[in-house]
Amino acid sequence: MTDNEWEPKIVAFCCNWCSYGGADTAGMGRFQQPSSLRIIRVMCSGRIDPMHVLNAFLEGADAVLVTGCHIGDCHYVNGNYKAEVRYRFLEEMVRELGLEPERLQLNWISASEGEKFANFVRDVTAQVKQLGPSPLKPEGVN
Amino acid sequence: MVRVGDKLIGYATDPDVRSRGASGGLVTAVLAAALEKGLVEGVVVLKRIDEYEAIPVITDDVQEVLASGGSMHAVPVNLAKYAAGRKIAMPGKPCDVRGVIEQAKRNGVDLESTYIVGLNCGGTMHPVVTREMLVRMYETDPEDVAGEEIEKGKLIFRTKDGEEKAISIDELEDAGYGRRENCRYCTVKIPTSADLACGNWGVIGEVAGSATFCEVMNEKGKRLLDNAIDVGFVEVRPADGKAIAIREKVNSAMLKLGDEWKERVFTGIPDQERLTYYMEQFADCIHCGACKEVCPVCTCGEDSKCTMFHSLADNYRMSMYHMVRLLHLSDSCIGCGQCSDVCPVDIPVTSIFRRFADPAQKKRNYEPGMDLTRPPFLEVMLK
Ligand SMILES: Cc1cc2nc3c(=O)[nH]c(=O)nc-3n(C[C@H](O)[C@H](O)[C@H](O)COP(=O)(O)OP(=O)(O)OC[C@H]3O[C@@H](n4cnc5c(N)ncnc54)[C@H](O)[C@@H]3O)c2cc1C
Ligand code: SF4
Ligand code: SF4
Ligand code: SF4
Repeated sequence: MTDNEWEPKIVAFCCNWCSYGGADTAGMGRFQQPSSLRIIRVMCSGRIDPMHVLNAFLEGADAVLVTGCHIGDCHYVNGNYKAEVRYRFLEEMVRELGLEPERLQLNWISASEGEKFANFVRDVTAQVKQLGPSPLKPEGVN
Repeated sequence: MVRVGDKLIGYATDPDVRSRGASGGLVTAVLAAALEKGLVEGVVVLKRIDEYEAIPVITDDVQEVLASGGSMHAVPVNLAKYAAGRKIAMPGKPCDVRGVIEQAKRNGVDLESTYIVGLNCGGTMHPVVTREMLVRMYETDPEDVAGEEIEKGKLIFRTKDGEEKAISIDELEDAGYGRRENCRYCTVKIPTSADLACGNWGVIGEVAGSATFCEVMNEKGKRLLDNAIDVGFVEVRPADGKAIAIREKVNSAMLKLGDEWKERVFTGIPDQERLTYYMEQFADCIHCGACKEVCPVCTCGEDSKCTMFHSLADNYRMSMYHMVRLLHLSDSCIGCGQCSDVCPVDIPVTSIFRRFADPAQKKRNYEPGMDLTRPPFLEVMLK
């Protein structure tokens, strides 16, 4: 990576029980990870209020990742299912706004899927690099 | 005794109420009878100030209800929020009724104790635009107007010295006047989610103009109407096949016209330009909060998520307030137009909301405010 290459800011919401574990596993497995990632740990993906996602964009995130346990594996029975319901609305909203759909992504990742987590973040980073900074980024934030 | 599903032609028995009413005063008489017999504690009516202004009041005075007849086409107020927390009966255009139903789903209204007499609705006009239209299109001083009605697609104004002038609504709307934009593409014309659905479509022959077509939608509607007949406020008879057919025909013609307007209003904005469009539109926002305050489907109250982020001090590209509302209303917005009406800086809030809500609702085959069986969508399982 050259010094002046732009690095996107990616905010990932991870649930305590699965996807955060996945991120941890990715780290322990020493999978190469871009420095673009900011993880926000929540107890359950069902706790992710769409407002958190929108706020991340307004504060300057170039992409936001919503992650959690695989459907059926939720520690709180069906939190991830609720997350998905909300996510579908958010996804439609992001499209209608005219924000590139790649900037908002959902993925179910278990605690053991470190490699999946790392690949996911790498993929998104590459996609967003192509797109450039989010048009919602406030002035003065890079 | 009437039955649920009955389609009737009726009118107020009191000649005074009958002549003052928009078409026979049935609605007024039904509301007054509900109060008279203690079915409800209050009635919401519009208290008329002049041709272009009326304020909703909640009254327990039967005489006040009886005096309130008449349709005010230039009063686009929404009555849904007046129903909250009270045992009342109210009249309502489809958007009023739909607002009440959405409120009920969010525990804002107890439908068991709320009676709604629905009014068919071809649309309402903005009072300011109406005044301007009178000057420009009718060459009439708005203060000289003594009455207004809609007949055969024409909007007719009568002046104090008895003159009448009619212009077709199509012509008015092509010139930028006429009904509010959201009314032109409104999707519900007969309020089938009310307890009674009343209107003048299908009222023909010698009763044209002095009777109302009334459909009994449910048990509460039956209770309302039986009560009004029992106290002798109202007379009804079955509508004949021809009346029913005409009502259906006009309704479908109106809905078709609505679809055409939808195409005209919602022209596509290219993907790359949309965000700029929305940002530019909302850039004028002064964060007065009025659009939320009037929204008949919003039940959050003062401590709501959107208003928490209601600040002119932030340097966001687009206010969080609007972002939250765009999402929250994607399941519930009924396109009533209140938000655009009140916006002090003329942001087309309604059509922006509809751009988000319409496809989201269509995709889920969900029409807000039409029944109680489908709970608020954003909060429940999809499958
Ligand atoms: C804006 C508007 C548009 C209408 N368009 C059509 C139409 O296209 N086709 C059709 O068949 N019928 C329409 N109607 C219904 C019709 O005009 C009569 O209201 C109906 O036939 C009942 O007549 P009535 O004499 O029994 O009502 P009334 O006894 O005159 O009672 C009318 C009731 O409506 C209330 N009201 C008046 N203006 C408004 C308003 N702007 N918003 C909410 N409540 C109001 C009054 O407070 C009163 O309680 C419309 C009504 C309104 C208010
Ligand atoms: S939004 Fe629909 S129901 Fe409401 S006033 Fe307009 S046309 Fe009538
Ligand atoms: S967002 Fe506007 S158009 Fe939609 S229901 Fe609320 S006030 Fe009516
Ligand atoms: S009414 Fe208009 S100015 Fe006021 S908050 Fe809504 S959009 Fe902004």
